[in-house]
This record gives sequence, C-alpha cells and structure tokens, in this order.
Amino acid sequence: MELKLYVDRLSQPSRAVLIFCKANEIEFEEVSIKLGKLQHRSPEYAEINPMKQVPAIVHGDFKLSESHAILIYLASAFPGVADHWYPADVHKRAKIHSVLDWHHSNLRRGSLGYHFNTGIALAFGLPLDPKAAAEGEKLLSASLATIESLWLEGDGPFLLGNSQPSIADIALVCEIMQLEVADEKDRDRILAGHKRVLKWIEDTKNATAPYFDEFHSLMPFAKEKLKELKAQASKQ
Amino acid sequence: MTLKVYADRMSQPSRAVIIFCKLNGIDFEEVRVDLSKRQHLTPEFREINPMKKLPAIVDGRFKLFESHAILIYLACVFPGVADHWYPADLFKRAKIHSVLDWHHSNLRRGAATYVFNSALAPALGMPLNPEVAAEGEKLLSASLAKIESVWLKGKGRFLLGSLQPSIADLSLVCEIMQLEVVDEKDRERILGPHQRVLKWIDDTKNATQPYFDEVHSILSKVKEKLKKLQAERGVSANESIGRTTLHSKM
Repeated sequence: MELKLYVDRLSQPSRAVLIFCKANEIEFEEVSIKLGKLQHRSPEYAEINPMKQVPAIVHGDFKLSESHAILIYLASAFPGVADHWYPADVHKRAKIHSVLDWHHSNLRRGSLGYHFNTGIALAFGLPLDPKAAAEGEKLLSASLATIESLWLEGDGPFLLGNSQPSIADIALVCEIMQLEVADEKDRDRILAGHKRVLKWIEDTKNATAPYFDEFHSLMPFAKEKLKELKAQASKQ
Repeated sequence: MTLKVYADRMSQPSRAVIIFCKLNGIDFEEVRVDLSKRQHLTPEFREINPMKKLPAIVDGRFKLFESHAILIYLACVFPGVADHWYPADLFKRAKIHSVLDWHHSNLRRGAATYVFNSALAPALGMPLNPEVAAEGEKLLSASLAKIESVWLKGKGRFLLGSLQPSIADLSLVCEIMQLEVVDEKDRERILGPHQRVLKWIDDTKNATQPYFDEVHSILSKVKEKLKKLQAERGVSANESIGRTTLHSKM
C-alpha cells in the first residue's frame, strides 16, 4: 500500500510526521503543499483534507488528518516500529495521550500565537498583532516551564521520564524548533533557564539523527525570508 | 471502588467522562472539585493533577488527566465497554483520534471562549468580555459548520458517519451543551443554521439517557444563578449612578 505524506516542512506537525517515518524506515512519497503559496486552499487539496491543513496522509484509500492521529496510526500500522514510540502498555499509552492532548492548548497554541503575530502573518499578507504575540509568548513560556518541571520529571531523558523517545517527544520538540525562525535574542530569551528542555531537545535530535536536522534544514531560509518581510513591513 | 473521577459538572469534559462511566456500568466515586470555589487550586488537588484542571482520574495508584486520554483509557481498561465507543479497528480508531484532536483548537476553543466571555464568567467572579466572546463565536460557528459538512458526512447518525456513538460524540456534544447557559436567542442564532448538528445532538442524548440529562441538570441551575447575578449587577449599577448624580449636584 502506497503512503503519501502531504506536508510543508515549515509546518511543525508536518516535520514530526516526516521525521517519524524516516526514523522508522517507513517508505513514503512526500507531496509538498506550500502554505506560503496558499496551496492548502486549493480544491484539489480539499479532496485530500477538507480541513485544508497540513499534514495529511493517504495510505492506499485511507485518508487521515491531524498529526497526532497520523503518528499513532503509523506507529500502529507499520510492524517495524519499536514499542517505545507508542507503547502497547495501556498506562504508558494513556500518559502519552495526556501530553499530546495538553500540547494542543498549551505549547502548540502559545507557539502558534507567538510566531504568527511576530512574523508569519506577513507571509499571508496580514498585519502583525503585538498584543496577540505577547499573549502567545506568555502561554509559550508557561508551557516550556511546565515541560521543564512536570513532563520531564523522572529518570529518563524523554517526556514522562521515559528512557526512550515516543511520538510525543517528536511532536513537541518540532514545535519548539519553530523558534529557529525567530530573532536569536527572542529565541534565547524564551528558552533561557530551561536547562532540562534544552537537553531534551538535543536528546530527541540525537535519537532521530540524521533525519531531524535534514527536515529542519529549511529553517534558516525561512528566518531570512521573515526578516525581509518584517523589514518591508516596517518601511510602510 | 478503586476508580475516582475528580470533576465539576460545570466542566464540559468532566461531564463526558461521568456520562461515559455511568453508561458503561463502570464503578466509580465522583469527587466534586468546585471550580467556582477555586477548589482546583488547592494543594490537595495539585497532588491529583498538577495542571490543576478537570477532569482527572485516579485508578488505584494510576493518575491521569486530559479527558480524551481518560476516555480512551477507560474504554480500553474496563471490559464491559462496547467496541463502538473506541473501536479496535485501526482505521476507525484513527478517525476518532482525528476528530478528538481537531476538537481542542476548534469547537472546544470557540465554544468555551464564547460561553465564558458572554455569560459564564460572573459565576466564577470574573468580568464578561464581549470582544473576546465575539472572537469565540466566530470560531464556534466555523467549527459547527465543519461538523455539519465534514464530520457528520456519511450514512450513520453519529460523527464520522458511524451508526453508533463513540467517545468523540460524547466529548463534542457535551461541549456544545455549555450553550445552555447563554440567552435562548443567542443559542438559536448560533445553532439554528445547523440542522444536522441539532439532530446529532438529539441522537447522542438519546443514546446516553438517562445519564445525559441527569449530568446536564446543573446547567439550568447555573443559568438561574447567572440571571440573579445579572439582576443584582443591574441594581447596583443603578445605585452608583444615583450616587454620582448626587455628588455632581453638590
């Protein structure tokens, strides 16, 4: 059965799915849907995902959207995937669901709010909203603090004190990596003091090397693009 | 009884978990954590859930929070739960995950924001915020439209075209029920255009009676309380206008 991934490498959840597949030697065809070119709004893409978002997958006839659902499906459907990514144990699995759920309204929401309103809005021809950016940063910072003090509690280097990574580690770290497109001083300010988080990001990168860096290779380009857009916007 | 469910029936996801347990004959102790009395912020509750949110469960020594994680856990661990709530089939299960994920940033975010900022905030000692309520309403309406046109597509009466309800139906309908505390005319404006959604709400209620109505009975009580609070605010606003007028005359 053929697997197609509809993704934009600039989308955090898209990267999580790409990295997971590569790290688990799952064969796929990457179909690029460029958000910056509004390709996600085409009628063709609406056939793939009526929610008009990335990532989405088509596996044979089966279509699926939402990255957490996709990661769980791939971990379950492909026999070569090691148990630690999405354990069969119902208690361990429940804890992974818990952090993935928490992610939506916390890290993801804060990160999206911050990035959209400090730069990404410009790529869609929309103005920046400093108030919304500040709210986003507040939630993002609170979420990082919660990861530092709560989700990374335990013996192991990964979320939930696990000794090996799960789909939750990839999902959350890819979100935090979006800070690579922000100004260095802002990135450093936001990540400052979160030693466990910084170590965990490194550990997750290493556990999924070389794919992690490979799928994050567009970030410097995106950063330059955003700088240009911001410079243009401030001239107006 | 080793299962404890920490809940406030004013919390939409709390209701979903309670109804699910009752419907499936799962033995549990409901421990009320009163949000309006800030009981979720006590050190005792922090031991149960360091996120200080509801619902949370303790099953033996196993603690868990986030209602979707809880519903999935209960469906898997308790043997009497029929398959349609959380099917073993990988494809059906994946679709349920998809709608539960979508819910967080869409229906949940829109509905909770709208209801809190247009009606519920005073019950928790906070002010209303019409501007934020309007943003919430926009997202809520867009979400209802998506449920109508995407999630309810198919042969069956339930989400994903299913013939029987799943945990997703319970979770999403409990969210929409929070609209019971806003003015009828607002509720009608928001829900009125979505006939499939209205039918689906009824079908989900019928599939989960008598527990659905029992667990939702708190909403009419809260609505009465809100009307009283509004009336009191109206009276005290008039009084202070009177005082100001007197002062300006002096």
